[in-house]
Amino acid sequence: MRQVIGRFVAILLVAGASSSVDAYLKLGTPVDGRVVDVTWRAPVRYFVSDADAGSASANDLLGAVSRASATWQAVPSATVRFEFQGITASVPGMVDGRTTLGFQDRPELDRVLGATSFLIDTTDGAIVEADVFFNSRFAWSVSAAGTPGRVDLESVALHELGHLLGLSHSALGETELTGTGGRRVIASGSVMFPIAMAAGTIADRVLQTDDIAGISDLYPAADQLTTTGGIAGRVTKNGQGLLGAHVVAFNPETGAVVANFALNANGEFAIARLEPGPYILRAEPLDDAEVDSFFSSAIDVDFRVAYASRMVVAPRGGASAPIEIKVIAK
Amino acid sequence: MKRLGAEVLKCVSAVVLVCVSAAVAQGQPAPDLRAHRLLLDGGVVWSGSYAIGDSTAQLRGNAAGPSPPPFTLFSSSSEVGSVTSVVARVGFTLTPRLVLEGGAAFGTPRVPVAMSRDPEASPQQLAGEQLKQYLFDAAVVWHLPMRWGVRVRPFVIGGVGYLRQLHEERTLAETGQVYYGGLGVRHWRRGGSGVARAFGLRGDVRANVRLGGIDFDDKNRVFPTLSVHLFVSL
Repeated sequence: MRQVIGRFVAILLVAGASSSVDAYLKLGTPVDGRVVDVTWRAPVRYFVSDADAGSASANDLLGAVSRASATWQAVPSATVRFEFQGITASVPGMVDGRTTLGFQDRPELDRVLGATSFLIDTTDGAIVEADVFFNSRFAWSVSAAGTPGRVDLESVALHELGHLLGLSHSALGETELTGTGGRRVIASGSVMFPIAMAAGTIADRVLQTDDIAGISDLYPAADQLTTTGGIAGRVTKNGQGLLGAHVVAFNPETGAVVANFALNANGEFAIARLEPGPYILRAEPLDDAEVDSFFSSAIDVDFRVAYASRMVVAPRGGASAPIEIKVIAK
Repeated sequence: MKRLGAEVLKCVSAVVLVCVSAAVAQGQPAPDLRAHRLLLDGGVVWSGSYAIGDSTAQLRGNAAGPSPPPFTLFSSSSEVGSVTSVVARVGFTLTPRLVLEGGAAFGTPRVPVAMSRDPEASPQQLAGEQLKQYLFDAAVVWHLPMRWGVRVRPFVIGGVGYLRQLHEERTLAETGQVYYGGLGVRHWRRGGSGVARAFGLRGDVRANVRLGGIDFDDKNRVFPTLSVHLFVSL
């Protein structure tokens, strides 16, 4: 079989920078005219680079990555497996067939905490290699309780491993502009939110419902297709589909919050791997970050937050009948 | 509770009205059912609305510590709206005063949702979905040893029911139980003194306790019902 290999643009986790949001989007690649998920077809076998950062050692990184990989592996509704292969002198970003995670000094990326890049088989979407770098120029913390003024390495590792598994960024979050033109996170509903929490926080060591739904969609456990449900619909404005509308699904019984985007010109969206039950749907514009972080074409953000007129049931083992959420201009 | 109290008051008032109008009936022998007979009932029952829970969509706040205070994205408050259902019942008269009966009721209550605390949207009421609601119940009816006029006899009723609420898309059913007690009157339009083929009107008001069913707080809920039936004694 001819193997065509392409390289993805790196996905960055930023510290208070202007970036964008979306829900548990998955990475995808076009294969035979359709977009397929980018996933591992075997356990993720990874190396850790022997380079130290000023504030943390390679062993510190290994510990943080081990804990973060264990967190992803512990999701009961997904089948994710990591296998540590050893310490290596290689550095992330080299096309060498090895998945390598390590510190790198990237002074030109002064707001980027870390990034993940991929090598994929474009004939089927399989990930061949993925590398993650953690920017040495930041002050890292590996303390169990976090360290004021330092970025928690395990939290960032958990985020980057989410990318490494095939998840894109999540839009579940609220930000505010800072005086320097960046954005400060007020709150987030996903570890995969693209802007990191404030230095010193450790809350993002724990996956949220949105993350779990995403990874369960990419690597579903055996019973997932029959025990979870989905919601489908479209967002419209003046009768026309609205590409890029962010749709949040909220289960009032469990408190779960999961979201996704309307991803085509018809405004159609789908949110899968939900616990069966009724959901409140809320459509909002992508206004907490830069649109071009998520969409290569322009999207309409000139509309008010709107709710679906009724709760929608995610049925066990299936998807809801499509529901329309109508929005109006601001 | 204030709203529920008002609805109960309305129901009681309605039944008292039935009683009073019946009490002006003629002074003849006391009405009675005949023992060991079937009773067929059919009519409508109005159920009052009741809350099914408040809930808040929260995001993880950005603050130090493992459990930072959450950020509220929005809040919702839901209820099962009042509804008029159709009901059919069949009973058996163990004695002229004691009846065992079972029945089924079907209605389509709405579940409106009030949205609030959304920093990006004003408070609003969503129309909500329309449930298909079934109640299958069994009850004991005891006619009191008293009369209001010649054709009217009051009774007390107590029973238990199986509740099935089907969401609008009919892909998810929520089940529960309903326990109820109440009082009512039976007004004979024909017969009324142990006559075999009697018929008339019956009305009752009940206080219901619902366990299970659609509920976002998993709480027991209390709601009133008011029913008006035609009955036939075979």
